[in-house]
Amino acid sequence: MKAGRIIAITFLAGALVACETLPEDAFRLNESALELREIQSRTYEDVTEIEILSASSAVLQDLGYAIDEADKNLGLLSASKRASAKDDMEIAGKIALDVLDCLATLMIGCEDDAYQSSKDVQDIRMTLVVLPDLKKERTHRVRVTMQRVVWTKGGDLYQQETIVDSQVYQAFFDKLSKSVFLEKEGV
Amino acid sequence: MTIRILVVAFLLILAGCAASTGVITASGSQVELRQMQTRDYETLDKRGTLRAVVATLQDLGFVIDKADYDLATISATKLQDYEIRMTVTVREREGSWLAVRANARFNENPITDPKAYQDFFTTLDKAMFLTLHQVD
Repeated sequence: MKAGRIIAITFLAGALVACETLPEDAFRLNESALELREIQSRTYEDVTEIEILSASSAVLQDLGYAIDEADKNLGLLSASKRASAKDDMEIAGKIALDVLDCLATLMIGCEDDAYQSSKDVQDIRMTLVVLPDLKKERTHRVRVTMQRVVWTKGGDLYQQETIVDSQVYQAFFDKLSKSVFLEKEGV
Repeated sequence: MTIRILVVAFLLILAGCAASTGVITASGSQVELRQMQTRDYETLDKRGTLRAVVATLQDLGFVIDKADYDLATISATKLQDYEIRMTVTVREREGSWLAVRANARFNENPITDPKAYQDFFTTLDKAMFLTLHQVD
C-alpha cells in the first residue's frame, strides 16, 4: 500500500513537471553574451550604410539565401535558406548510430539507409544589422545572428539552436569583406 | 488515497497544461497584461529605440522575422531547446515619451509571468542607455 502511494505521488510529480516552464535566463544576458557579440560583429571602414547593405544582400545571394525581410531605416536584413546537413558532426554521429542500428537488426540494404539519413536538411535563418559608428564617419558595425533547425529525412525535428561557432561567422564576414570590395569596384 | 492521487495526476495529464478555452481570444486582465508588457522611455528617438530593441533581441539570441520602421513593429524568434516568439512595438506617448510594448509566447503558451518581461526590459534599458547616449 505504501509503495503504491509512493508510485502514485511520483506519477503526480511527473505530471506537474511535464508542464514546460520558461527557463529563468531566457531574457537575461548570460556570461557568454559579450563574447558572442564580438564573434557576431565586424567593423567596416570607408563605406556608406547603403554600400554595406547592398554588399550584404549580394553576399547573401552568393550564399543562396532568400531575403525574407529588409528595412533600410533599421539597417536590417533577415534571410533564410534550406541546405543539406550532411557535413555536420551531429549528423555524422547520427549516421554512426544508424549503422549500429543496422548491424544490430541485420537488415539488408543497411548501408543505403545510413546513407539516406545523411541527406537530412537544415533551415538556416539569419539577421544582419548595420549600425553606423556615430564617432567615425563612413564606418559601420555589422552584426549577424544565425539559427538553424535540422530536420530528419522523415521530416521530424532533430535539433534547433543558435549558431555560436566562431568559424561560421568568420567565414561569413570574410565573404562580406570581399563583397564590399566588389561593391566599390562596381562588379 | 492512492487512487485519488492517480486520478488527479491523470486529469493533469489530460489538461496538458494548456488552456482549453479562450485560446483565440484569451481572457485575463487586459490592463494588467499591458502594464507588465509596457515600459516608457523619455525620448522621441523612434529610430534609436527600434535599433536598441533589435540589438537587445540579437543579444538575447533572437533572429528577426519581421521589422517595419513605419509601423514600429519587430517580430523575432529564439530557438533553443524551446521556442520563444516575440513582438515588440514602439509608439508615441504624450509629451516626449515613447512606449515600448513586448509580448511573447514560449512554445505554445503566451508568457504571462511579469518577471520574464521585467528581465527583457532590464536588458533593453542597457541598450537604450547606450543608444540614446550614443555609446558603442
